[in-house]
Amino acid sequence: MGVAAGKGCRRSEAMIEIRIHGRGGQGGVTLAKLIATSRFLEGLSVQAFGLYAAERSGAPIQAFCRYSDEPITNRNLIYEPDHVIVLDPTLVGPPIAAGLKIGGWILINSPQSPEEYAGQFPRHRLAAVDATSIARDNNLGTRSVPIVNTALAGAVCKILAIPLHEMRAALEHLGFKGSNLTAATRACEEVRQLALSNEFDHTEEVAAPLPEGRGPSILAGAGGSLPAIKTGQWASEQPHRQQLIPPCNHICPAGNNVQGFLNALARQETDEALEILLRTTPFPSICGRACPAPCMEACNRIELDGAVNVRQMERYAGDHGQVAPEALAVRDERIAIIGSGPAGLTAAYHLARFGYRVKVFESGPDIGGLLRTGIPEFRLPGDVVAREIDRILGLGIIVETDHRIDRQSLLDLARNHDALLVATGLQQQRDLRLGMDGTETVVQGIDFLDHVHRGDVRVDGEDVLVIGGGNTAIDAARSALRLGARSVRVVYRRTRIEMPAIREEIDEAIEEGVALELLSLPVALQEEPSDGIRRHQRLTCRRMKLGEPDESRRRAPVEIPGSEFELACNRVILALGQSRDLSVFPEGTEVREGTQLLGLLETPLFAIGDLATGDGTVAGAIGSGRRAAVRIHNVLSGENLQISEHAEALRDVDAWRDDVIRADAMKLHVFERQPASEGDSLALSERRSTFDEVHMGLEDSSEATRCLSCGVCNECDLCCTYCPEGVLKRVGHRLEFDYAYCKGCGVCMAECPRNVIFMSHL
Amino acid sequence: MAVQVVTGNHAAGYALSVAGEANRKARGVACGIYPITPQTEIVEYVAGFPFSKGRVVPVESEHSAMAVSMGASISGARAFTASSSNGLAYMAENIMVAGYYRLPIVMVAVNRTLGPPWNIWADQGDTLMLRDFAWLQFYCEDNQEVLDTTLLAFRLAENRRILLPALICMDAFIVSHTQTETVLPEQNEVDAFLPELDLPHRLHYNEARTLGGLAWPHEGLSMRLEIDEAMKRVPDVYQECRESFLEVFGRDPGDVIQMFATDDAEMVVIATGTVATTAREVVRRRRKAGEKIGLVKLKMFRPFPAAALRDACQSATHLAVLDRNYAAGSGGIFWQETRAAFQGYRDDVLIQNYLAGLCGGDVTPAVIDEVLADLGSRSEAGEPVWMGIEAGEETLQ
Repeated sequence: MGVAAGKGCRRSEAMIEIRIHGRGGQGGVTLAKLIATSRFLEGLSVQAFGLYAAERSGAPIQAFCRYSDEPITNRNLIYEPDHVIVLDPTLVGPPIAAGLKIGGWILINSPQSPEEYAGQFPRHRLAAVDATSIARDNNLGTRSVPIVNTALAGAVCKILAIPLHEMRAALEHLGFKGSNLTAATRACEEVRQLALSNEFDHTEEVAAPLPEGRGPSILAGAGGSLPAIKTGQWASEQPHRQQLIPPCNHICPAGNNVQGFLNALARQETDEALEILLRTTPFPSICGRACPAPCMEACNRIELDGAVNVRQMERYAGDHGQVAPEALAVRDERIAIIGSGPAGLTAAYHLARFGYRVKVFESGPDIGGLLRTGIPEFRLPGDVVAREIDRILGLGIIVETDHRIDRQSLLDLARNHDALLVATGLQQQRDLRLGMDGTETVVQGIDFLDHVHRGDVRVDGEDVLVIGGGNTAIDAARSALRLGARSVRVVYRRTRIEMPAIREEIDEAIEEGVALELLSLPVALQEEPSDGIRRHQRLTCRRMKLGEPDESRRRAPVEIPGSEFELACNRVILALGQSRDLSVFPEGTEVREGTQLLGLLETPLFAIGDLATGDGTVAGAIGSGRRAAVRIHNVLSGENLQISEHAEALRDVDAWRDDVIRADAMKLHVFERQPASEGDSLALSERRSTFDEVHMGLEDSSEATRCLSCGVCNECDLCCTYCPEGVLKRVGHRLEFDYAYCKGCGVCMAECPRNVIFMSHL
Repeated sequence: MAVQVVTGNHAAGYALSVAGEANRKARGVACGIYPITPQTEIVEYVAGFPFSKGRVVPVESEHSAMAVSMGASISGARAFTASSSNGLAYMAENIMVAGYYRLPIVMVAVNRTLGPPWNIWADQGDTLMLRDFAWLQFYCEDNQEVLDTTLLAFRLAENRRILLPALICMDAFIVSHTQTETVLPEQNEVDAFLPELDLPHRLHYNEARTLGGLAWPHEGLSMRLEIDEAMKRVPDVYQECRESFLEVFGRDPGDVIQMFATDDAEMVVIATGTVATTAREVVRRRRKAGEKIGLVKLKMFRPFPAAALRDACQSATHLAVLDRNYAAGSGGIFWQETRAAFQGYRDDVLIQNYLAGLCGGDVTPAVIDEVLADLGSRSEAGEPVWMGIEAGEETLQ
């Protein structure tokens, strides 16, 4: 049998009963206790209690308080309260007035005025106070869940005519201090009251009935579960998926989606990995061998157990992937590119893919520039270069070799082309300037490496000095060793740390027998008498020490007076760097990367690659060539393609953030330690005598599984696994949060090791 | 249908297996089960049975055994398990859940003394500890009854009007390890007797739903009332199942209470399990001597057949309730239930409790004679009588 609520719960006339509506975490039960305590301290009999269920932060809750000057003898819920307090304005609705005595107060925590609610509650007196603002101003609770109870306790004093000092006594009795007392006092002052109008509705309130009839059956099919509670309404925060920029993608000079291609390799999708690389670079096999790989220096995995071997993985994708890039359109515009080095060829590649008719002019006999001449076979085999160049030319690009373009012919080209790109690189080598430049004794490293490629140089039995610290110096030294040198010594004015050459290459040079003469500055070079077999020189050097950092941020070498010493040799190879040759441009042209050179020709003209940047790496040239291709396309087509420098945004991401994710934002402890795969190298004896490739490459792509996928979801599904409510699942590539039931607990965010999930405040 | 000499455990394992197999065209069979003396042979039997659909899942404990069986049952498979003694105590939390979830799981329990002190012999304290958990409970006295009642229990438990789990109990060793001739029915007969399980509230993997989440008092009240209503329907449904059983197998699995010579009996012995077998023989002997003595064997304990028990004892003035169990601080559990059944209906009956066979003690005919001698000498009931031991002031250290 059903029983009307409140029947038999008749109370003494002197008793006051208050019902509090709030949300878990707002302090409703404590408010009941505060009111009760204030009355208890005045000698009244009191009760304060909550109605508990499966509550948690944000869930609607009820709390009750009753006080009387006679002993309280009943232990029931309160069905017919004298007054109601509402801690959260979103709870205002008919249920808060259920059973409320006619003329009773409804005190609402709300920034609105009580008049706003008058229409809803014509039989009750209304009061409102912005307890949330008061709590926030007093730093009570958190920004998302301010604890409003002490402020409302102050407001209660006003409407129930409880002297504020009595409530302050209750607050202090319960251990509240400072800001809570301030909040109560302020709310007491600020509460706005609206008395009943004279014409209020006197209709008798019908008390809410207790539930009657049969409840749901556990056997009743789908109704076997209780009516669904949309627990999402308890949430004060919601999870979302974001994407951050992995540091490898951010730093890659070529703009490669490093994380993306590694992710494909980790799934053993080699063709997909190559396809991702070919969106930005036409040279994965080359960069997979010759790139200094700044991505590996930026890799967050260094903080765990060493960088992912991205270089070898790019090589793997380039060597083993099978993808033939195709032109995406056909266009009529003709574009001339001067120089067939990596920058020129990259620009040609992208422009051809855009559909342009591209012609490349190369002054030398071979296509590829420094790719052909500047990097020795043991580091970058010629067939690898040939293969990647063939792939580019397969897009229909025409190359004219042995065709030098000077200032006049550039003007001629401008007449019958729609855009010009100059990618002539760094042509002028720096000299030693010790009186013997250009002799047989002192050769330029670039020229030496070119001769090495052609196979028309030997240095048998010679003591060779290489001056410089970059890759050309190390390549020349290692080549000399392979060509029979008795000794090879690299002379450099700073220390190993400052050497610009790839660190691993320096290590390997030393392994092979190259000696380093560091902190040494050549100051004099003298020809000695020949012994009839070979020439002899004596290089005088001065010792250096490191001073303050210079504009390159490396510590500058400072000479130590009187520290001269001599080195005997039969040959000096110079690798002091190169500078650009601007003779093709009209005098006074300021060549800058990325900007169209205006005012010279009507035809759009760009300088790219080392010529524009002086960067000196293949990867940098690739990036420059690609950026120029996009810019030319935008100029010619009127489109506005963006030059994405990093991973493309994944599908179905709520927020794509422009922040680079650093190691401290990753949960590295989640990952197993697993050292990097280095791959095998050629035996040292063979390295000293042949130009066979030193690195043999990795046999499979398992190294890619070490990629932590920083800031980019790789569908590891930890979030779905650990969601305690089962309201998060992945559908295809999409994460589906069921916000109707998600309580915003944040476990998914806490479990994601790569910071892909963030919480938003509601 | 073949008669074989097998143990009570074998009979139980056989019944569970062929019942599971009979659901092969529906959701099959799945269950967790964990060995414990003296039930292990049941585990061995069902684990070796070549089920066509489904499997027996090895688990690490009794608690998990029931958890797996619940998961299987709730997704529509026919589920069973078996345990004993302290294993049932460990399983208890999930046993209770299975009842309130209304899952028709059938469990065979071999009644063994709860330790400590460690004791592997017969005592019903283990299953009676579960008496309030919304399970049907049956106590059997021989191998055939174990087999038949187990098969019947599936049909009863799975009936749409019932949907409650069922516990089939037998005395440790006296039934579980005793080999006697037992009829093992053929699979096709079992198929004919057991319809495929169609659980109305089964969960589907593609339909997210909770079962038994938080319920407010009134909602919980409704679900408890439904259990009470289902329990009240058991006697009728049991009779339907019993008739079908007789039809299919040609054998009566026995009524929920079984009377022997009670028609004009003045003294009636109320007993369960193998104690009832012995008591029946004593009654038979003394009837021949002209004594107006009868026996009521309680086969079904949950729901408690109070009305049937009263009917069976209409002529009696003295009732001896034999309990192979002891509820500490009270007395025998069948005695408590019997007194409650008579109170307010027949307050003139003298109901005396005898604790006999606790901790595996042998209840011989002499013990029953002793009981009857004591009962016949009484003009009023007293405290429970501990058989086989001197009661007196406990020695205080």
